[in-house]
Amino acid sequence: MNSVVLSQTVVSGLLLGGVYALVAVGLTLIFGVMKILNFAHGDFLMLGMYFAFLLSIMFGIDPYISAVLALPLFFGLGWIVQSCLIRPVLRAPENIQILLTVGLSLFLQNLALFLFSPDFQSLRVSYGGNTVSIMGVSISYVRFIASMIAVAASLTLYLFLARTDLGKALRACAEEHLGSLAVGINVDRMYNIAFGLGIACVALAGILMTPFFYISPQVGLPFTLTAFVVAVLGGLGSLPGALIGGLIIGLIESLGELFLLAPSMKQMATFSVFLLILLLRPRGLFGGKLT
Amino acid sequence: MRLIAAALFLVFLLLLPAFAYSDIVARVMPRGLSGASLLNVFLLIFLFGYLAQCWNILGGFAGQLSLGHAAFFGIGAYTSTLLFTIFGLSPWIGMILGMSLAGLFGLFVGFVSFHYRLVGPFFTLATIAFAELVRLSALHLKFTGGSMGVLIPLQGDSVWQFQFSGKAPYYYISLFMLVAVTALIWRIARSRLGYYLHAIRQDEDAAEAIGVNTRKYKLIAATLSAALTGAGGTFYAQYTQYIVPDDILTVGLSVEIILRAIIGGSGTVLGPVVGSFLLTPIAEATRVLFSGAGSGAAVVQLFASDATLAKKLSGYFSFLVGGGGGGGALMLYGLILIFTCLVMPSGAVPWFERRARR
Amino acid sequence: MTGRLLEASDITVRFGGLVAVNAVDFRVDKGEIVGLIGPNGAGKTTFFNVVSGFCRPHAGSVSFRGVDIVGLKPHLISRMGLTRTFQIVKPFPDMSVLENVMIGAFSVHPAAKDARLAAMKALELVEFADWAHRRAGELPVAGRKRLEVAKVMACEPDLILLDEVMAGLTPAEHNEMIETVRAIRASGVTVIIIEHVMPVIMSLCDRIYVLHHGELICEGPPGKVARDPGVVRAYLGEEFAL
Repeated sequence: MNSVVLSQTVVSGLLLGGVYALVAVGLTLIFGVMKILNFAHGDFLMLGMYFAFLLSIMFGIDPYISAVLALPLFFGLGWIVQSCLIRPVLRAPENIQILLTVGLSLFLQNLALFLFSPDFQSLRVSYGGNTVSIMGVSISYVRFIASMIAVAASLTLYLFLARTDLGKALRACAEEHLGSLAVGINVDRMYNIAFGLGIACVALAGILMTPFFYISPQVGLPFTLTAFVVAVLGGLGSLPGALIGGLIIGLIESLGELFLLAPSMKQMATFSVFLLILLLRPRGLFGGKLT
Repeated sequence: MRLIAAALFLVFLLLLPAFAYSDIVARVMPRGLSGASLLNVFLLIFLFGYLAQCWNILGGFAGQLSLGHAAFFGIGAYTSTLLFTIFGLSPWIGMILGMSLAGLFGLFVGFVSFHYRLVGPFFTLATIAFAELVRLSALHLKFTGGSMGVLIPLQGDSVWQFQFSGKAPYYYISLFMLVAVTALIWRIARSRLGYYLHAIRQDEDAAEAIGVNTRKYKLIAATLSAALTGAGGTFYAQYTQYIVPDDILTVGLSVEIILRAIIGGSGTVLGPVVGSFLLTPIAEATRVLFSGAGSGAAVVQLFASDATLAKKLSGYFSFLVGGGGGGGALMLYGLILIFTCLVMPSGAVPWFERRARR
Repeated sequence: MTGRLLEASDITVRFGGLVAVNAVDFRVDKGEIVGLIGPNGAGKTTFFNVVSGFCRPHAGSVSFRGVDIVGLKPHLISRMGLTRTFQIVKPFPDMSVLENVMIGAFSVHPAAKDARLAAMKALELVEFADWAHRRAGELPVAGRKRLEVAKVMACEPDLILLDEVMAGLTPAEHNEMIETVRAIRASGVTVIIIEHVMPVIMSLCDRIYVLHHGELICEGPPGKVARDPGVVRAYLGEEFAL
């Protein structure tokens, strides 16, 4: 086993994990505050990708600029989705909540299919082929940037939750719904914000990946599943958990690809880990608190 | 009154193959549809209704939302198909073995999940994980044909080998399966098993306190649901004569199965049947009305070109009107599911029943 | 005919650092109506949870009809003849009142027809038969309490644990429920009842146990308990009329 190959694998695993972390952070924030598992999570990632793609082919806008534009837009989209679709079922049985987001996922995937056809698209940027050398390992520039921004975004969100008043209010809602109402927190608005933030995160993650990942209507589902795995591993509702969990899963997948025989085996490894956690330690690594 | 309507409808269904190929029908139907495709639509209605009923036992009655039923479907299909292609075993026997294996897997999934007290979304996630493992196994293992799947050699008409050159025999078999499973659900609903499952769905602790062995009954539901779903898999394999993981083992298929049950009314006897009759024709209708999947590459080129904005928009508009990239029916399904969750979460059948009572 | 029906000794339950129930001894003989009282948080419902199998004690033993039941699942204990109601009532909201009670009846009568008849009988016992076909989810509080009792009685138990069946009822409804509990005893079922409403406990019970901070601080007939200084202190000097 070549040490260069090994360190290459580890680094690319960590980079991938950084993006996974951002995806899972959105999911875990939504679950932490509202106790809703968003089965349509990955489909918002897909929407983010198409957003960047459209801006690129129509107006030639660089994806990283699109990312900045996307943040408020997708935050708003999440706000609206929460208000109109999620809020009515917050008191409904859990199964109905799940089915609602499944329906949303079904709708979004096929809306994209309808609007954009099943053909895989890709977003070409002039610097897409550049590499960067970190500690002797050569990595793709765009993957590196994606991961750095993703981790930075996750950390920013963490600081927001831990240090600001609004973040404190969100954490209060996550922990104690009735108590928050009693002290005058506008819980409804908190839910809108949490969902908006979650969607903004996952759309950002998608846009960051456009320089090196294919775009298709069905690209969301594997990311939704991965987000679940990461979030459960880290502890549903825990932001640090999602961050660490993302890195771990990224590593597992990368190392899995190296050591196991076929690509489908690496996915099997991920799902097996997932099942083991669900069964043996459902609270994951960090239990359930947001920060 | 309703019984007479149902009986008449059943007679209509029984006689349909007889006149499906006739001239009258050919003249009435929209272009692109033939007698054979008419039978195909009904057959799919029956099959999906059957699968939805099977899911109904676990997901509707017992209230355990499984999104992994495609795995049981696939296990049934692969078992009978491989036994046939490798050992020449009659698919009827293969169906029974497939049901047993699917049932065993259902028992396993249930046992593990309930033992570790997985409830609500965690149970659902576990079923997805288990199903994905089955799909990945089928993709990976050599003897299951990997991503190319398995082809059943055409051997003409043979009852013993569960192969027919015409659609009518398949039509009747699937109709029979739907009627049989619905009758089974009807019997279960009036028995202790049915009552217990309904109670477990609504409040497990309360049920335990008054003598219901909730673990045992959930396992019964899981096993029965899985086994019967497996039989559907065998039927599908024999009908299409080609099985491939991307078709029959996906989460998407699991979602389509539960859609009929949820929208029709989960936990009811007729819900899945009604759901299937409501939903399945939509898919076929959109397939016919839209001329088919447009080319995404052409659209991308159009947008990247120097054409005027008006030209781009009108080009895109005609792309959409022609059916866009496909997916119209499933989009509608998604909207209907959202609508159901928001407005009538118990499904269409209970909603209509409540109206009728007033 | 008397006989020791339930014997619990040294029951201790801990939740993390908190001792919810501390070395409690408890016994009930056939035919008695025994009360379990104490301020909120005293550990009463936790004790019920232990006896009915919903909670495993960290120490102590419980024997019902001479059989050790610690560690058995609730449904098994129920089938042996010991059932309980829940403090926050748990009806099956989407089923009718009759169907709710049938769930209990099914543990004695596997056939749906017989279960339905037995369920009607149980409803008649609690004088709720007129409501048989109403949806359980639409019932008012008093109705839900009655339903809860009927469900439990349909299991044809030997011993039932009633957890605050009076809570949320008006004084008139209290009297009705008292009569129902007396009717239950008359039909041959032994009763343990948790209650906060003092006049009810005093008039119904043969013996009373008093729990405070998880410990047994008094045990005996109503008169003795009412005069016990420790009990009075525990209730902060509350006086109750006898």
